[in-house]
Amino acid sequence: MPKKILIVEDDIHISKIIRMNLKLVNYETIEVYDGLAALEAIKREKFDLILLDVMIPKLDGFALMEKIQPHGIPVIFLTAKNSVYDKVNGLKLGADDYMVKPFEAIELLARIESVLRRYGKEEHMIQYQNLQVDLDKREATINGKSIELTPKEYDLLVMLLKNKNIALSREQFIDKVWGGDYYGETRTVDMHIKSLRKKLDMQEHIKTIYKIGYRLED
Amino acid sequence: MKFWQKIYLISILVFFVIFNAASIMVIERSHNKIVSQEMNNALSQNMSIHSSVDAIVPILRIYDSIDYEKTVLINIANEFVGKNKDQLVYLDIQSDSKQTIFTNIDTEIPVHREELKGLEKNEINYIVRDIDERTLVFTTNIVDINQKKYVFSYIKDISALYKDRIDQYRFFVNVDVVVLIIYLIVMYFVSKGLTRPIDRLNEIAQRITRGKFSERVRIKSKDEIGVLANNFNEMASVVEDKINELERINEGKQRFINNFTHELKTPLTSIIGYANFLRTTKYNEELFVDALDVIYSEGKRLESLSLKLMDMIVLQGDHFQLIEYDLSAIIAELEPSLRMKTKEKGVMIVTDCEAGKLLLEKDLMITLIFNLVDNALKASSERQHITIRTYWNNNRYVLEVVDEGIGIAKEHQSKIFEPFYMADKARTKSNNGAGLGLSICQSVAAVHHAVIEVNSEEKLGTTIKVIFDPFAQKGGTGL
Repeated sequence: MPKKILIVEDDIHISKIIRMNLKLVNYETIEVYDGLAALEAIKREKFDLILLDVMIPKLDGFALMEKIQPHGIPVIFLTAKNSVYDKVNGLKLGADDYMVKPFEAIELLARIESVLRRYGKEEHMIQYQNLQVDLDKREATINGKSIELTPKEYDLLVMLLKNKNIALSREQFIDKVWGGDYYGETRTVDMHIKSLRKKLDMQEHIKTIYKIGYRLED
Repeated sequence: MKFWQKIYLISILVFFVIFNAASIMVIERSHNKIVSQEMNNALSQNMSIHSSVDAIVPILRIYDSIDYEKTVLINIANEFVGKNKDQLVYLDIQSDSKQTIFTNIDTEIPVHREELKGLEKNEINYIVRDIDERTLVFTTNIVDINQKKYVFSYIKDISALYKDRIDQYRFFVNVDVVVLIIYLIVMYFVSKGLTRPIDRLNEIAQRITRGKFSERVRIKSKDEIGVLANNFNEMASVVEDKINELERINEGKQRFINNFTHELKTPLTSIIGYANFLRTTKYNEELFVDALDVIYSEGKRLESLSLKLMDMIVLQGDHFQLIEYDLSAIIAELEPSLRMKTKEKGVMIVTDCEAGKLLLEKDLMITLIFNLVDNALKASSERQHITIRTYWNNNRYVLEVVDEGIGIAKEHQSKIFEPFYMADKARTKSNNGAGLGLSICQSVAAVHHAVIEVNSEEKLGTTIKVIFDPFAQKGGTGL
């Protein structure tokens, strides 16, 4: 069942781009544009996570945060301010994380996933066509048949699955899969992708995107 | 040592010394007076004896017999002693051969008696002597009887006087202790009381140091401390005002920075977000157009923000070449482009201008008029009018921009000149506004020594007046 996320952001464009990005990876979203509407939405429906802009009309993010807390819904703050005070204040009020605008889509997705995991709301299984990945066992199966993958190949595959329909650059793969202190060549990524395509028979699905990197497509 | 302790100690010390000295002086003086009275007494007694002896000297001369002399003298002495029985007086008569003829003294008389030295006839010498815890006055004279000298000593016990003095001192010590205790207690409260306002001042000063700038001393007295407290309060007020002002300026700056980052980052977030979405996802025509549209409009918003900011930065400078222009001519010049601007929205521009020559910086003036018309336009809807009017009023030249739009709510009116302040965020943003327009207008007005007045009624429209004072413009000190 897809996770439901409430987007509280007064700028329509930003709200929309967040929604579009979340939709790509199968999150269900509700958008509200001010604090009071957010409060109503929370009373009306159950959410797995709230993305909350600090500077919103009617009831600001910090005030709203206090009202959200009793519901125990994880919150990620979105803020234009890069000030330490705002971060500390946000986290003190019980926010689980914060993002400073402008932010990258995959960064936002990674934070959302990490917060959900902290709340035990993460996915245990990813299903993609006939491929099934058990995140607990770190095991990939196609039609019930286990596929042998090296740890790096497995991490690469999970990253592609989690950012489905979004092109990821070689640098991003290296950063997330090999870690920030890896100084190897980006060609390493190409090698692993090549091997993944072969093992999973996904030549068509893992697309090479000109000038960027790779994208897993439905 | 604390101030009250100093006052306390010094006053006690001074009191103690003066009180004691004065008391001792009083006791000593009265004692001395009594002693000298006694002395005079003793002397006159002596003299009376002397005269009674003198009276019989001629008779004694006739007889010229020592025994008879002795007998007579003893008789006189006995009579005298008998008369003064109940007083502690003694008589001692000795011949010049140191033989005692009569004495009723009950103590040893010292052998060596310096008062006898050089004692002449018809002289009385006296001395006060302490013998066996008694104080005795010796008055001595010599009587010459038949070529023989007799030493008459009239002795009076004045121990009682000394005893009295000791009693006085004893009493005084008791009084002294009691008075001192009372004084200690009274002075404690007095010195505490006197210095309490100082303590209060001190306490308040410390509180102010700790940042409670609104603290004031409440001392109502009219003495120096009261004056000091008043001055202190005045100083605190000035400091508080200054600090508040600094804080306000600081807050204003902080708000400006916060708003500025917000205004800058919001369009940037959209632009980056959409651009990234386009470049990382599969092409979809509808999304593609939507995203580009957002990127374009947010880009425009950034452009407008940067232009406005540029205006603001320019306005920070203070050297503008003001040249005499006719403001109505500038408006006439601008009219076509203003009309073009408002036509899109179906809003009519009406001008009603009186000629007025003012010292102006033309480009800034154009910015001002554009901003005011822009604001009016944003508030207006189709078929409404925007009136630009200029006229003279009491030696002031007034530029008025009147709209029939939605007006400004009372609670917003005081804040609309603040940078980035938007009464209605959503509407301002959809109009590419950043909330800087009026702030810029005010700066432009300031450059021209003009003031801006706002008159607005919700749903009825807004009138903005820019009031120029040509006299002040020419370097006068216009009101």
